[in-house]
Amino acid sequence: MTTPKSGSMPGTPKAEFLQSVRDALGRSDVPPAEAYPRLTETPAELEQQAAQMRQRLEENLPALLDKLAQMAALGGWRVHRASGPEDAIEYIETVARGAETANVVRSNQDVFNQIPVDAALTNLGLTVTTVLRDGTTTRESLREEIRRSGIGITGADYALAETGSVIVLPRKGLARLVSVVPPVHIALVQAEDLLETLDDLFLLRRLEYHQQGGEMGSYLNFITGPSRTADIEMTIVEGVHGPKEVHMIILG
Amino acid sequence: MPEIKTQNFSAASAEAILDPKLRRALDRVAEGFHVARLDRIEEVTQETWDGWKDQAREIKVHTIEHLDYYLDLLDKNVTAAGGHLHFAKDADEANEIVAHIVRTRNIKIVTKSKSMVSEELGLNPVLEAMGVQVWETDLGEYIIQLAEETPSHLVAPALHKSKEDVAALFSEKLGIPYDEDIYHMAATARMVLRDKFMEADLGISGANFVVAETGTLVIITNEGNGRLCTSAPRVHIGITGMEKVIPSMQDLSTFLRLLPRSATGQRITSYVSMTTGPRRSEDEDGPEEFHLILVDNGRSKLLADPALRESLYCIRCGACLNICPVYSRIGGHAYGWVYPGPIGAVVSPMLVGLPKAKELPQASSLCGACREVCPVNIDIPKMLLDLRKKTAESPDSSLRSAPETERILARLYAKLMSSPRLLKMAVKFGRFTQKLERMTPVFSPLTQDGKWIRNAHIPILSRWTRSRDLPTLPKQTFHELWEKELSRDDS
Repeated sequence: MTTPKSGSMPGTPKAEFLQSVRDALGRSDVPPAEAYPRLTETPAELEQQAAQMRQRLEENLPALLDKLAQMAALGGWRVHRASGPEDAIEYIETVARGAETANVVRSNQDVFNQIPVDAALTNLGLTVTTVLRDGTTTRESLREEIRRSGIGITGADYALAETGSVIVLPRKGLARLVSVVPPVHIALVQAEDLLETLDDLFLLRRLEYHQQGGEMGSYLNFITGPSRTADIEMTIVEGVHGPKEVHMIILG
Repeated sequence: MPEIKTQNFSAASAEAILDPKLRRALDRVAEGFHVARLDRIEEVTQETWDGWKDQAREIKVHTIEHLDYYLDLLDKNVTAAGGHLHFAKDADEANEIVAHIVRTRNIKIVTKSKSMVSEELGLNPVLEAMGVQVWETDLGEYIIQLAEETPSHLVAPALHKSKEDVAALFSEKLGIPYDEDIYHMAATARMVLRDKFMEADLGISGANFVVAETGTLVIITNEGNGRLCTSAPRVHIGITGMEKVIPSMQDLSTFLRLLPRSATGQRITSYVSMTTGPRRSEDEDGPEEFHLILVDNGRSKLLADPALRESLYCIRCGACLNICPVYSRIGGHAYGWVYPGPIGAVVSPMLVGLPKAKELPQASSLCGACREVCPVNIDIPKMLLDLRKKTAESPDSSLRSAPETERILARLYAKLMSSPRLLKMAVKFGRFTQKLERMTPVFSPLTQDGKWIRNAHIPILSRWTRSRDLPTLPKQTFHELWEKELSRDDS
């Protein structure tokens, strides 16, 4: 390896790199002759597609919730269809009793207004930390709290019937680590989070991106079942780096 | 780049094929991945599956034909999201970029999620030479790193290791008691690496796809190490080949349906993680800096060659490895470089240079199974034939894979077979020598039992007859029969 010039970032300048690609393609700088269909829609057109999609979801809601539960179970989630907030909280209490931990961390999302888990868990003697940076909580202390926690609870930004996945968009109030570091993850899914297909999800993501002037947030994560590996003799082991036990509570 | 051993293909494969432990491991992969893959296709129906494949190919064809345009778009959008995009023409340049970031950001500990391109670059030794701790965190990669080996499969890098091997390795390297329980070993890796994720200053990931429209890096994983590598450290570097770009976020649907099913037979992996720039100021966690390094490193040679361009459509699912009758008998290491199996036999010669890897295109029976399972319909056998043609017809004799004697024999054979008169004479001569052999059973260099030419003791033929039997000449040739029957009909 040669030593890079001090101070300057090594690498090939973009113009030179793109020229070498053009040379390999044997042509000059010409954009695609035909516009790429999945890049050309206006936000208004995307919005119209999204409206049609929402109508389709509404019409098929019960069947799609069933499909979500079915696919989630196939993906390795322990699925609980909750009859209401009390039932959801009871289920969370049961999970917490079995988890052998003194600490729970939860995101700061709207769903916790409907499912107030803090009091119930505190009554069980658990310490509940909310992902909320204020005067005393820093990113570092938050990370330590998450590491200490045996259970992480989050909402779902979307839930995908096609794959049985929970989709989270980490942001303020929703740390990336809260659904991956604790060995147990509980995801609370509401009916309005439901999408049918991958296409639905990416349509909405594109719409949001373009509506917000080219901003879609820094991260998106699909979660489908527990963390797993088959790297030793093709034997599936759950909970290798992420959670071993994942619960999806479906409300509605 | 890591050491190139593609020149030793013949010897390495001959050795590997005799290894019963490797064979058991390869059988497990074939059963595990391939059968699950077939189940998933049946579930969605072959028709739907074929439709997805066609879509995927269409996307790849379009993107690769306009690769300059989409790389430019990607660059703009990575930058707009607050990230940095770097172009590297070769391995040295890519490694220099990483080294520069490591040096200027005072990085001491690196965690890596699985990246075949970083294997291709030989990145780890470069970082280690700088005094940086590098931790592979994918369980398979971690095992390989501890054993100081290279991956033997695109998806399951440590498949060649038995649980006893791993237990012995962990015991030796980590100083723990020997324990061959697979669950315990996975738990050990979790425990060791957990602290590293949190201590690391830099996380390095590969990329399964990068989306030009939004500047998004997509990784498809199962263990959760990828999520931790892209979330916990203060700097994230994604490294991938320049061919991994796709135009639109909506193109992802097709690939997310195809890749996990083709790779491991999963409907979807445990995680799909998508990074767009560094963490935003209000985010709770995530890296402060995001870099994406796009590597050429020989790919423009594949791009420039119309016969081989489609190899850049590959999404590295490994399905062609799992089905290949050659790979499934010799495993990945015999191929001698990072990318094994049928697709490796196409890509490696162009990335390491055809003279060094001229034997790899021969590592195929051209049965076509790889083409059939490919989720982007890549015609691998056609490309292998093209590479064989390139080696056979090269004016440079060092490029040719066949020895000169074989070439002379082939030329004589072609003469013989295209002249009925010569063929007749040869058959007569052959019968005469066979008769002589039968009369002198003591000296019989060619025939066995009077029926087969087997293990001929003549040097130029023995390489051929070592693995193939030739029938001896029949009493009557088809020509002779035909003439006789035809004359009878006429009468």
